Amino acid sequence: MNLSQHLPALIIVVPLFFAFVMPLLARWCKQWCVPTTLGAIIFSFGAAVKMTFQVMNTGPFSYYMGNWPPPWGIELSIDYLTVFAALTINGVGLLIIWYGSKDLLHELKSEVIGWYYTLYLLLMASMTGIVITNDIFNMFVFFEICAIASCGIISIKESRDCIEAAFKYLVLSVLGSGAFLLAIALLYMVTGHLNFTFMAEALPDAMVLYPKNLLVALGLLVVGLGVKAALFPLHAWLPDAHSSAPSPSSAVLSALVIKVYAVAMIRLLYLVFPRELLGMTPVMEMILWMATLAIIIGSMFAIVQDDIKKMLAYSSIAQIGYVFLGVGLMSESALVGGILHIFNHATMKSLLFLVAGAFIYGTGARKLSELKGIGHTMPIPTIAFCIGAFSMVGIPITSGFISKWYLALGALDVGRPFFTAVILISSLLNGIYYLPIVVNAFFSKPEEAVKEPKQLPRQMLVPLTLLSIGVIFFGIFPSLILGIVYRAAQLLLGL
Amino acid sequence: MSITEIVLRLHANSYYFFAILLFIIGFHTMLTHNNLIKKVIGMNIMDTAIFLLFVAIGYVRGGRSPILEPGVDHVFINPLPTALILTGIVVAVSVTAYALSLIIKLYKHYGTIDAEEIMRIRGGGSL
Repeated sequence: MNLSQHLPALIIVVPLFFAFVMPLLARWCKQWCVPTTLGAIIFSFGAAVKMTFQVMNTGPFSYYMGNWPPPWGIELSIDYLTVFAALTINGVGLLIIWYGSKDLLHELKSEVIGWYYTLYLLLMASMTGIVITNDIFNMFVFFEICAIASCGIISIKESRDCIEAAFKYLVLSVLGSGAFLLAIALLYMVTGHLNFTFMAEALPDAMVLYPKNLLVALGLLVVGLGVKAALFPLHAWLPDAHSSAPSPSSAVLSALVIKVYAVAMIRLLYLVFPRELLGMTPVMEMILWMATLAIIIGSMFAIVQDDIKKMLAYSSIAQIGYVFLGVGLMSESALVGGILHIFNHATMKSLLFLVAGAFIYGTGARKLSELKGIGHTMPIPTIAFCIGAFSMVGIPITSGFISKWYLALGALDVGRPFFTAVILISSLLNGIYYLPIVVNAFFSKPEEAVKEPKQLPRQMLVPLTLLSIGVIFFGIFPSLILGIVYRAAQLLLGL
Repeated sequence: MSITEIVLRLHANSYYFFAILLFIIGFHTMLTHNNLIKKVIGMNIMDTAIFLLFVAIGYVRGGRSPILEPGVDHVFINPLPTALILTGIVVAVSVTAYALSLIIKLYKHYGTIDAEEIMRIRGGGSL
């Protein structure tokens, strides 16, 4: 048996397997929990790297689960977008849990830490599953695993804010998956298939016979995935959930979980639904306007926050807007910008949340007013914060600039300079809330709370440094990742 | 379309009609009730409605369960939606269990399971 043939399945199965081994390890040999978790995610990351080379050299391929060819079996599809998303998820996820291995010790009770790794590995497996599966019902099952695991890593810290935020998140994501399941029912009714490729083939005929079915299904899909991805008017659960959770959870939820649903939406809208249907309805236009509102209003809410993690959470609402802006504009450059922003935002937002976690670890302070002058006492995390903040604003040589640049170009390509203006305005708004923190951190006298911070352990500093280097590196050499993103966009647009 | 025609059509598609009716009842319960347990019940009614709709898709009038017997030729129902919904039910059960355990924790922290009351204790925000 050739192991490398089965990598598309193993990338999901290995973390899933170790997730269930973890409670046993936590009971009998506690010191093995962290290495095992890291090992499982490193394996998935390695598998994603290997598949990336394979896809870049020989083109997209698919894997049949249990050797059952579609439409009978479940198909995993490995193309440019899916390997790109798998790389992002496992790469960023690895750094976050590496950091978390120390940070969690002070945020959680010692008896639940083993369970945290279980939930984290389940989350990793389900997110990878969502992006690489080519079967819509399989995607639904991964959605539910992802929903429970992501609520779990919030509610594991048993403070009353966390429990309440987790409940709110759970109810809304069940609503979202309900809408998604209903959409699956309506699509299956008219096509008789669950596989993306076969559905896409059957839909043009079905569109003529049953246009209403498809319209309702499309609406339910956009709303269902919109709730889970926190697209603007459906974002109500996000600020509480992302700000109250333990810092590594906040980082993974903001950086990866909401993006996964965006990837799912991109694949469904571009690969499954016929182009004529999207032309017939104003769905893309609606996504565009929701994204615009998200960008502006999310930033405005962020300006008035005093809690650093709440501010970052509102900023995530704005940033997911960029991804959907790229989806809605339907031009090549804009789609490249949107997909690239999935990766860029994953690196910079996880960086910022981890720095916020480091501040809380070091000083116990989470109010922005108490964090003045922290640059004098905790220099390395503060510099990392500066890099993340500059990238959020979109200053050149950081990766945030590249994705905004492509989005702006894309808006001009389709002759809608209004959206270029939106991107510029939102950069200014980002500047309004990120830059004062940076200025205050270095140029104010240290506040009482931050005078004598606890020393950060190496396990927390190294991931922060690596993420900051990543943000700068992919800002200076974007071509490394643009190659795959361009091919992904061309595949999606059918060029 | 005359009234009789509408009634006949509804009768022919009664599974779908009642599924949607149940869905609306569940959704309404979930949105309007403050009691968290009732919210979870509404969530379950909603899920059940979707399952009913999904299973109804696979039903063929006069069809039998798809067990093949040599030499006998029958009309069979489509087994795929049934199999899928089995998975769906498992998922719904686990989500319900998790939601109820969260409610127990909420009750321990706040001493109430009323969403408005919890909101008042927290001071602001919405559930």
